[in-house]
Amino acid sequence: MRVAASKRNNHFLCGLCRVSPWRPLATGLFLLLALAPVATRAQDDSESAPVDSTATGLGAALSQAAASGFAADNGAFFLGMTQEPKAGIKANVQKYTWFGEWNTVAQLHAGAQAQSHLEWYWDQFRKQEKNVESRKGTLSYGFGKQLPLVTTIDGNWNWSEDRTTNTAGYANLYKMDNKLVNLSSSQQKFQGLGLMNSVRLGANFNDQAGLNQNQRSEFREGTAQGGVQSGWALAPGLILAGRLAGTATGGTRLLAALSSPSSAHGDSIGVGVYFNRGIGTGHVAMTRSSFAKKYLEFRRNANGLVDTVGIDEPDKVLTELETHDALTFDVAHKFKLGRFGGEIKGGHTTDDLAYATGLAGLKQRAQDSADMTLTYNAGRDSLVAFGTVGESWDDQRIKAATSSRGRQLVRRREFQFNWYRRLFKATRLNLQYHEDLTQDVAENRFNENDKDRLQADFAGKLERAWAGRFRTSMVFSYRQTRDISIRGSSSSNNNIKESYELVPGFSWNLAPWITIDQNYRVYIQYTDYLYSYLPSVTRKDDYNKRGDLVTKVMLVPNERLRVTVRHDSNRRFNATKSVEDAAGSAFYNRDLEQDISKIRLDLAYTVTPGVSLECGTYRTRDDKTSLGRTTTKTRTDSGEIVVGTRVDRTWGAQRDFEVSAMVKKISAYGPSVTASSADFWEADVWLKWLF
Amino acid sequence: MAQVAVLSRVRLAAQVAAALLACAVVGGCLLTPREAEPPETGNIVRYLEQIAPVNTWDNLETSANATHAPGWEAAISSMSFLYEPDSAADNQFPGVFATWNRDKELAFINALYNSKVTIVAQMRNPEFVVPPSSGSESLWENVIYDVIVTSKVDASRVRYRGLADIKFTLEGNFWYISEWRDRQGESDPDSGQLLSTLGVLRGSFASK
Repeated sequence: MRVAASKRNNHFLCGLCRVSPWRPLATGLFLLLALAPVATRAQDDSESAPVDSTATGLGAALSQAAASGFAADNGAFFLGMTQEPKAGIKANVQKYTWFGEWNTVAQLHAGAQAQSHLEWYWDQFRKQEKNVESRKGTLSYGFGKQLPLVTTIDGNWNWSEDRTTNTAGYANLYKMDNKLVNLSSSQQKFQGLGLMNSVRLGANFNDQAGLNQNQRSEFREGTAQGGVQSGWALAPGLILAGRLAGTATGGTRLLAALSSPSSAHGDSIGVGVYFNRGIGTGHVAMTRSSFAKKYLEFRRNANGLVDTVGIDEPDKVLTELETHDALTFDVAHKFKLGRFGGEIKGGHTTDDLAYATGLAGLKQRAQDSADMTLTYNAGRDSLVAFGTVGESWDDQRIKAATSSRGRQLVRRREFQFNWYRRLFKATRLNLQYHEDLTQDVAENRFNENDKDRLQADFAGKLERAWAGRFRTSMVFSYRQTRDISIRGSSSSNNNIKESYELVPGFSWNLAPWITIDQNYRVYIQYTDYLYSYLPSVTRKDDYNKRGDLVTKVMLVPNERLRVTVRHDSNRRFNATKSVEDAAGSAFYNRDLEQDISKIRLDLAYTVTPGVSLECGTYRTRDDKTSLGRTTTKTRTDSGEIVVGTRVDRTWGAQRDFEVSAMVKKISAYGPSVTASSADFWEADVWLKWLF
Repeated sequence: MAQVAVLSRVRLAAQVAAALLACAVVGGCLLTPREAEPPETGNIVRYLEQIAPVNTWDNLETSANATHAPGWEAAISSMSFLYEPDSAADNQFPGVFATWNRDKELAFINALYNSKVTIVAQMRNPEFVVPPSSGSESLWENVIYDVIVTSKVDASRVRYRGLADIKFTLEGNFWYISEWRDRQGESDPDSGQLLSTLGVLRGSFASK
């Protein structure tokens, strides 16, 4: 059914009873009222029942404001209100932003609270022909103890216009206007029928109009949802729990020029046994869930990608019916026996997603996993071993195909062992061994991308805190990585990489006002291509070596001034294997030598409390020598200087006025600095008034 | 007392040795990769050594054209990887990109390559001037990539073209992609139609 745009608005003004999307909302309200007496009794029984939830709606700032400045509940309905207008400007290398916000919080009788938040943002992009304007409004009401259930109602309005012109001159307007009303109500842990119960109910109405590339996308839908969870104590430390939840959505959708009713319904059911006894803690749980959804959708190809090129206009949009079924089973057990401890986890998940109209057809996924961790504490030593085994797969049967594509499997096995030991006083040793194998397997070889990756690494770290203010550390690591494509069509790059890393360093706090850090890092990597001996394979074995010395000095001469100086000096070589003699000795030709030196200075000075000056600068020199038939030498320089100030001040008896300002001017140069990045402002300035 | 201390040290050494032996056994039995088939003549995927940012970026093109995931994986930084979609992709797949990281990038590229597709990619427009690398970071602004994905199942052809800012980081001895910020979709040079960025392709595979 095709409709004109103007009809839609008339429909929105119809009476609530005649508009089908409101039905779920009305149903939710009815259920809420019906359950109220039961929950009231439950709340009377339980002193610890939560009073209110402000999780939905506004942020922490509002909550704090509301909590701090209101009168005590003396029986009056209206207890107080705060207003908080805020305006500011932001700037960075990408865009300028102007904004205004207005927050209102009203505290009412019986812990009820009403909040509103209005905001307007304007973004002007520096490097693109793009402007974005957005407006938002939020109204939130928490009923506190006015209702028996913990209940909030929220209204949200989001409006935005994004105008972008790309490099080819195509101007696009992306518009969105969304209105959402949401009601949620819950009651946690109340006794009833000999069980410990929790219940939650919710309903919402969502109205959205969008425009992109001159194509309209609109929907108007109502949703009702509810869930209950009950637990039964079978024996001390043993609980049987069950969960049941359901949701239903109804409404209309419009895409391009096609309008159609939309609907969705889903449910989930779960059961689990939870224990906390002599054998440890753990659980066994199973959950099954399903949903079906009917909606308008652009035509998609077998991979689920929108594909409307060359399709006649009436056939670009179709009505899709999507169904989803999932099953999850998981177990966990945590135990401790003397010095031994451990944790075992296992899980199995299946997930089927089917499209009635789309070419993607049926998509199936499954995952199995098992993890085990064992720990052993022996005074100065502690040992931890961890292992995991897992397999997951996905499969697809294209619409109208007689058989499935074949499973794409991913298998993973991992093992890790850690040993921590206190060698001497203030000296600790940490050793780690780790292996990880990941395998990609295409069942029935439906693609040529089978591959394995095996990674093994060993690392050690020795740390000592010497008397006084001196700390030293030494890190050593070795890693071997094998990247193996199994099929002959892609195995030419199979290789083994071996890397070694050694990092000695110290930190010396010479005096309360000066600290020196220094570390040196040596990194060596050899790459052996497994088929480099074949004439058709062009990859040659190589090595890369790098040394990096970092020196950092921090000075705090007084409470106002902080200075940091850092120097990075690194030198690296790349070389390619040329020949290998009969004895197996390899000879390499150097391809590249490079020296990079970078010095950085940062300074912060507090002028008065709440006002500080900041500046920072760095310079980098990069000398590169490429060796080959001809030798080329290049030198590049880059740098940056940042000068700015930071202000955080408040005025008034109740700190009613607040100004926060960060303004910086950045100038940069270097080979990858573009004209728009060479000179720009960075700012975040705002003024706030609380009354 | 000294004998007891020596005995406990010997016992601990034996326990550690046993644990390391168990590691070796576990590693030998469970963690053995499969044997590979020797390369087929005419099917050599030639990557460049990632000693310059331009080599790293061009390797993505090689990887995509050969649907050979190891090449893409090798170009993505294992230290930190940030993907920021353009606003159109972000709006189309809300919430999908908030936690995008290297693992999700690799899962995406493997899923794409394994989905019976052929790809023709040109990862930088001919007009783009590659800035010389300097120091340990290199930023490319306004590089335009063009990727055509054709399904072998239904022969459908979907083209993606976007303008992006790419940040490369020198880690160890090699350059890796540490930030990929899609800025906007670009027009199809043939039809003038506005095309989506790779953010939409990423979102399509990640969302379902």
